[in-house]
Amino acid sequence: MGSALQKAITLILSADAELLNILSVTARMSIQSSLLALLLGVPLGVWLGARKFPGRNALVVLNRTLMGMPPVVCGLLFYMLFSGVGPLRHMKLLFTVKIMVMAQVVLITPIVVGNMETYVAGIAPAIRETAKGLGLSSCKTFLLMCGECVYQIFSVYLLAFARSIAEVGAVSMVGGAIAWKTNVMTTAIMQYTNRGSFSLGIALGMILLAVSLLVNIVISLLQRRLSR
Amino acid sequence: MKKIVSLLLVAVMLLGLVACGAAKPAETQAPETTAAPAPVETAAPATEAPTEAALVVDTCILKEADDKMLNTYTAIAVNPEAPFTDADGNAVSDVAVNTAGADALIQWLLSQEALDMAGEYGVAEYGEHLFYVKDNAPVYAGEIAPATEETKVIRLSTTTSVNDSGLLGYLLPVFESTYGYTVEVQSAGTGKAINAAKFGNADLILVHSKSQEEAFVEEGFARVVDGFEAERISFLYNYFVLCGPSADPAGVKDSASVLDAFAAIADGKYTFVSRGDGSGTHTKELSLWPEALGITKEAESFAAYTDWYVSANAGMGACLVMAEEMGAYILTDKATFLTFVANDGVM
Repeated sequence: MGSALQKAITLILSADAELLNILSVTARMSIQSSLLALLLGVPLGVWLGARKFPGRNALVVLNRTLMGMPPVVCGLLFYMLFSGVGPLRHMKLLFTVKIMVMAQVVLITPIVVGNMETYVAGIAPAIRETAKGLGLSSCKTFLLMCGECVYQIFSVYLLAFARSIAEVGAVSMVGGAIAWKTNVMTTAIMQYTNRGSFSLGIALGMILLAVSLLVNIVISLLQRRLSR
Repeated sequence: MKKIVSLLLVAVMLLGLVACGAAKPAETQAPETTAAPAPVETAAPATEAPTEAALVVDTCILKEADDKMLNTYTAIAVNPEAPFTDADGNAVSDVAVNTAGADALIQWLLSQEALDMAGEYGVAEYGEHLFYVKDNAPVYAGEIAPATEETKVIRLSTTTSVNDSGLLGYLLPVFESTYGYTVEVQSAGTGKAINAAKFGNADLILVHSKSQEEAFVEEGFARVVDGFEAERISFLYNYFVLCGPSADPAGVKDSASVLDAFAAIADGKYTFVSRGDGSGTHTKELSLWPEALGITKEAESFAAYTDWYVSANAGMGACLVMAEEMGAYILTDKATFLTFVANDGVM
């Protein structure tokens, strides 16, 4: 009994080993996947936004479609591929944090690409003009473009991180929510809900939000400092 | 400035959450006073009512310890030579199954030490046995191989009730620390647990649905463990219980058998919450309805009964909450129900 907040506080204060494990797996998975998605997505997004070439519109539409991919579908795809009878079974990745990260990267990268593309498409004409005036090479123009995007990149990173830490459909499927190994905050909340212990679920949800708040504060401060 | 505003917003949101959390006990206290007299009335004919009378939960056990509601748990080791097929139905031959690990875990579960532990589990906490050891369970007294680098990780696919009741969390650490294995537990309904094994994602299963287990053995997915005679090793049991509102409008409590009780619920069209997820509990429930109704796990079979038959497709705990909210009847394993009552149904 007792309110969920009390439960959340006692949970944190007790430094329950399983909770700490869940927190660390969550942090590992969401940081890895959001950074990987950023590394893949930002160059792709800038390129897609800045360049004009035949088939670009088709690519943009394709990417926007992928942005709406349901996480469970992505999870199911990875589950079938890496399952004990799937074509990639020899990699033995099912129910590991690695495959959770992979599924997340597939989910998040299109979102990063889409956001960068929209932003860059807006500022590209002006920058191209400046670069032309200064006589910069195309490589330098690209770097200049990236430099102009720093503020946006931080925002996109936060978006990627938020998506990653809050996602449940794909990770529960490929991770299997195995205690001490692949159980993250969201899958743990789902487990508690299925058991009917809703207040423990809410308590975990509060901790999740608090972690999210912390990360957001840190990144927002960094964003201000670096993009000044 | 903006930062302060956003921080304030977050603080307000958190306060809102706190308020919701704090309001809940107060809300639930109100019905307690009004609901209290009802259980007292029914307490006269019944003998085991006092535990329920003091609680906020209105749902209570109406029918139990009927042989029809026996709930037997069975461990089965997965056969690496089984006719595995991929999603397209093509045969797959080299599926990795940790047979040595599965052997060790089953042998340990059937050792006198583990059986004693399982039989005593929950007695201290709930004052009742959550699981009983089967009288004719084969007891293993031989050697158990310790873990090696290759056999260290055992994938156990199991039903939610043994995990959610805390039994595995109580047993497995002893096994892991003694023999050096790591048991990775995936818990889902029996149907899903068996499917995980068929997809080559489990080394052994611990489930509770005889018909589905027999089909699993029939299809060649099971294997006889060293030191045992049959593929299916049934060793624990408890009872399903039929629960419902304490007022019991269908008169389930006085019905002669559980089959009559289910017939009475169907006759009066009293709301019934079904797991609807292919779990062992769901399979058992399907076998208890009058045959004339023709309720199966197919959605069409109960399309005509949707005004009272609620197919929830959710876990046991979530279904209990639903039944409590709706004042509905429900079939549940006793372990989960006792945990639910211990939480006062405050979710």
